[in-house]
Amino acid sequence: MMGRTIVIDPGRCIGCQACVSACRECDSHRGKSMIHLDYLDQGGSVASSPTVCMHCEDPVAPCAQVCPAEAILVTPDGVVHDADKSRCIGCGNCVNACPMGVPKIDLAAKLQFKCNLCYDRTSYGLAPMCATVCPTGSIFYGTLEELRTERPGVEVASTFDFDGSIISTGVAMVVPRGRPVDEPLPGGAGEHARVTGSPQPAGHLEPSADNVLGDPL
Amino acid sequence: MRPVLVGVVTALVLCAAIYLGSRELHNFDSALAPYAIASVFLAFGIAYRYTAWISSPGARRLFKKGWGAALSWRNLRRAPTALPRMIATYLGFQKFLGARSRARWAAHQLIFWGCLLAAAITFPLTWGWFTFTANTGAGPQYTMNIWGLPVVEFNALSLLGWVLFHGLDIAAVLVIAGATYFLIRRMRDREASTGQRFGYDLVPLLALIIISVTGLLLTFSSVALHGGGYEFLAVLHMAAVVLTLLYLPFGKFFHIAQRPAAVGMQLFKYTEHGEIRHCRNCGEPIDTTAYVDNLRATMRDLKLDFDGLAEVCPRCKRLRRGQAYRSTVKPGF
Amino acid sequence: MTVPLDPDITPPGTGRFRDAGGLPADRWRAIRGEETLVPTHCCFCGVQCGMYLRVHDGKVFGVEPRDHDINRMRLCPKGLNAYQQVNHPDRLTAPLFRKSRADDLRPVSWEQALDVTAEQIQRIQAEHGRDAFGMLGGASLFTEKTYLVGKFARVALRTRHVDYNGRLCMVSAAGANKLSFGIDRAANPFADCLLTDCLLIAGSNVGECFPVMTQYLWGARDRGAKLIVVDPRETSIARTADIHVALRPGTDAAFFNAVLHVIVSEGLTDEAFLAEHTTGWDEVRAAAAEHPPERAAEICGVPEQQITQVARMFATAPKAMAWHARGIEHHTQGVENCLTVINLCVATGNLGKPGAGYGTITGQGNGQGGREHGQKSDMLPGGRSISDPVHRMQVANIWGVDVEDLPQAGTSMMEMVHQMSRGEIRGLFGLCNNPFVSLPNYAVVKAGYDALEFHAQCDFFLSETAANAHLVLPVTSWAEDDGVMANAEARVVRHRKAQEPLPGVRTDTWVLCELARRLGVGDKFDFAGSEQVFEELRIASRGTVNDYYGITYARLDETGGIAWPCPDLDHPGTPRLFEGGRTYHADGKVHLQAVRWHPPADPYDDTYPMTLTTGRTVAHFLSGNQTRRLGGLVEQTPRPWVEVHPSHGFSNGDAVTVVTRRGSATFPALVTEAIRPDTVFVPYHWPYPVAANELTIDALDPRSKIPEYKVCACRIEAATAVTAVPAPPMPPGRESYADAQRARVEQLPPTSSQGRGTSQP
Repeated sequence: MMGRTIVIDPGRCIGCQACVSACRECDSHRGKSMIHLDYLDQGGSVASSPTVCMHCEDPVAPCAQVCPAEAILVTPDGVVHDADKSRCIGCGNCVNACPMGVPKIDLAAKLQFKCNLCYDRTSYGLAPMCATVCPTGSIFYGTLEELRTERPGVEVASTFDFDGSIISTGVAMVVPRGRPVDEPLPGGAGEHARVTGSPQPAGHLEPSADNVLGDPL
Repeated sequence: MRPVLVGVVTALVLCAAIYLGSRELHNFDSALAPYAIASVFLAFGIAYRYTAWISSPGARRLFKKGWGAALSWRNLRRAPTALPRMIATYLGFQKFLGARSRARWAAHQLIFWGCLLAAAITFPLTWGWFTFTANTGAGPQYTMNIWGLPVVEFNALSLLGWVLFHGLDIAAVLVIAGATYFLIRRMRDREASTGQRFGYDLVPLLALIIISVTGLLLTFSSVALHGGGYEFLAVLHMAAVVLTLLYLPFGKFFHIAQRPAAVGMQLFKYTEHGEIRHCRNCGEPIDTTAYVDNLRATMRDLKLDFDGLAEVCPRCKRLRRGQAYRSTVKPGF
Repeated sequence: MTVPLDPDITPPGTGRFRDAGGLPADRWRAIRGEETLVPTHCCFCGVQCGMYLRVHDGKVFGVEPRDHDINRMRLCPKGLNAYQQVNHPDRLTAPLFRKSRADDLRPVSWEQALDVTAEQIQRIQAEHGRDAFGMLGGASLFTEKTYLVGKFARVALRTRHVDYNGRLCMVSAAGANKLSFGIDRAANPFADCLLTDCLLIAGSNVGECFPVMTQYLWGARDRGAKLIVVDPRETSIARTADIHVALRPGTDAAFFNAVLHVIVSEGLTDEAFLAEHTTGWDEVRAAAAEHPPERAAEICGVPEQQITQVARMFATAPKAMAWHARGIEHHTQGVENCLTVINLCVATGNLGKPGAGYGTITGQGNGQGGREHGQKSDMLPGGRSISDPVHRMQVANIWGVDVEDLPQAGTSMMEMVHQMSRGEIRGLFGLCNNPFVSLPNYAVVKAGYDALEFHAQCDFFLSETAANAHLVLPVTSWAEDDGVMANAEARVVRHRKAQEPLPGVRTDTWVLCELARRLGVGDKFDFAGSEQVFEELRIASRGTVNDYYGITYARLDETGGIAWPCPDLDHPGTPRLFEGGRTYHADGKVHLQAVRWHPPADPYDDTYPMTLTTGRTVAHFLSGNQTRRLGGLVEQTPRPWVEVHPSHGFSNGDAVTVVTRRGSATFPALVTEAIRPDTVFVPYHWPYPVAANELTIDALDPRSKIPEYKVCACRIEAATAVTAVPAPPMPPGRESYADAQRARVEQLPPTSSQGRGTSQP
């Protein structure tokens, strides 16, 4: 992971979509929102998760590698940029090659758009818009030390397992304390592919006759 | 090695064309020799750069598929208008730029047509392909010759004559207007200036403006100053042009050579099979089968062995990753 | 073969950008260095997050996060989109008038508009008495303006009939606070959450209604605090809470009494605190004894052991806090529900200490400040009672009027509607409210307003209520005027004018002062702007419980806001109340009140066996007049829905009709296990014919007069088609800004209660 980076904790996410509105407000995005907010457990709970560009480090930026027009630049600070406007031919290779499902595309403009870590802000030391406004800290921006000052003892991981291929990323995710830090996070391919149900979170009571059903008053 | 070889061959072919087109250098204007030499280096550079570019897996596959689709008799028979229409809208009128911003489209069109006009006039002139001969001593009747063959006869004082002789001035005005808009945008607009690099983003605009301004000043000097400062301006103009031509393959201008790939992409995507590939998870369309297969092959070339994920739509990728996180990593707070 | 000229296939969600309908605020600008950042606060909820408005060339065009210590740069989607209201094409810019409702509203000059209003006031009051003309204010107004509404009604109109929409919001908590503590505000600042060991959130969907406050909840949990959430729905904060009590709506008093019962029977009370600082404990204990857990479990529909679990977790925590909101307040037993929570905190000694205390989360931006200075039917400035002769005399002196001329207490908002129907109120001046969406039992409300001989309404977008008025006055949005608001912590914060009012638009202050001049009391309303009003308000509140005397604009500019009471210019304000256990009653004690649970007003039977509960969603605010016009928020949540449990056999998007004794409405189903099977939920931000308030009951709490929005009997039926959401009202001849309404026209159902996922097809 990068030094100052985004750390995502879906457990804190309340699905409010402040990040979605904030993304639009960034000067380098100009009214286009690129962040994704997905409700993971429709029909079960209000669980949600934001997705920003994970800024893949190894293999470096698959989106940039598959680009036939050399349009995606990776700067030395590890930031994978959105497409160069003069080069992008709007083919969509990056959209479908990205294992995280991040890039978007404007077909009419033949132009890819993706999270650029609000480079207009981060290159001047400010946090990206989504992480700045996130009401819950589900999207955090800073160093690991800064994160631990706010949330004592928190652990993060930044490798993903896609059915055997390991991808390490510049953006990290929070993992529970005690989980081996080098154990990759599931990418959702292969054996996890059919997971659709919702687990019962801690403290949640099993529905029972006297919990949820009963005669009306 | 291969890019160098292709570059050298291309440069030699251009040299031969200059030699033949100028009737064995009979029509070659030695005062323009630096321009001609620079254009030979330009040919080398573009060929070199282009070969290097298409050696990467993504570009190589698209190069083969795209040109294959564009030059296919089958496609020409079945959809004869597709290629010309795409060339006109993608490359000529650049409709896609209008979808990004009207103002940027207009400014880019000014630069595009200005450069095209200038190139159409100057390259043949410096190569000795165009010549003008006076029918009667000092005019005003002239004949324009290409490769030594008379093509058109005109009066220098007519509108056509004026346009032919001032084509470069018109081009300069178009380019200055367009490039100035982009330069101001690059200086004022935070979106444009985010991550902008001097060498990549600003030098091309400055080069266009310097070439156009010195070019216009040459006309100004001959018309208003009776040639005052002409020598100096000519050297300055030549230096600017030569350096720009040498820079062209290695900076932002290379998009000129890359942009036709958009046509190739569109053609091959929709002509190879004509079928749609759907997400393995949710069944929503992803893209055409030809395209997805090409992408998967590209990923395999690159040793990105999660290429199977290309058949899952981005939303399902995110949902599945999020659900796996919830079920196996951290279910709650 | 046809080859498409442009690509036309892209995977779901990758081709749309949530572009907010092209941003009607002004155009997109990202020009280096050519902007001013105006520090101000959000106009929406009671958290009052700090924000900067970006201004260029005299126009608000964007928002920038501000590191104010309330929100620490965080903002919710409403706050981020708020700035788009200011230069929105839907803004009203000329007064609109019609003689009768059969005509169309036509633009008139301000002179004509104000003259007509003054004439009608004088005519109605001459013919039917002073009380025949009523006034309704709102709690999203700056405090200065709420003060003016009260003063205008009492001094210029001299009518007893003045009330405000906070009556629909937090009056139950206000009543309970007054009864128990003698002061009406939250006892602790938000920051105290970070110091607590156990947080109890009762009836508040914090994650959607006060998203930015969530950081305090999560911050507490990061530091090891336990979280208990009492809510019939598994909201985003309940989802991961340590205990989620999914009780049946309308049974809060039974639940909290039972918790208290367990605390008493297990000897977990703080007897020393109770003995030293409270009165009435014996009665409270006796009432709690009538609610043993087994009885409450049956009433509330929760497991008995959960009640014990909550009691132990709350009572054994070294420091515990309780926060509640509309979920327990919107009941015919609203005041009593709040009292049971207060009793719980006091019985465990959790009061007036860092990390231990009690609070109510006000819903409207100025929900706190708006109820303090006299626009409430029974109150005068400084929280004074209009029935108290001493208070009346004080205020009469400050205002320079004869105490005999001060009217007596009036009636509440919903009661005023009934009085309109009965012809007791024949004229109405409304500002900053939209009762056609926000009041319960829409049919009754519409009939009441239709009976008015003259109805003037101020607003900056044409609300559903204003569209039914005789006269509409276009007034400023929050960014076009100065003022203060008090947030849920009773912290007074300063809002700054970021741009001049749009041409043709006037401030509410100017409108009220001009009207007062026409009514012959111009000398009492000689205010150039908000700061002059605030200076009078400071004096008017001096020496009262709600003491603002020490607060000035200059001090607010220097600080991040000051919590009242602040009696003098050197006073730092009072962020935390009751330190040392001392309350604002004369005896300094907490007056505990015994509560006994009773069932909700709307009885269940075989025809109406289920419960309808209503509430907010994160992308919209109150009656939606503001948020239903902002493209980004419309894209997030284009329409209302009905949340039902899967056991009823519906699938997502099916048309479901909710029927109550008052009406029926058809919504798309949002099928989720996150709601009790015996309960359905409908958000209330949309107007007829998709209004939750066509269904709700207009039964009122006997003390606070708050309507029982949160529970009524209903049944659900399968329907053939969902009802389309109407476009926001616009004056005749104008269309609502189309780009912002695209998502509404598409009529797509929500995918979660927080809105549509960004990639939903």
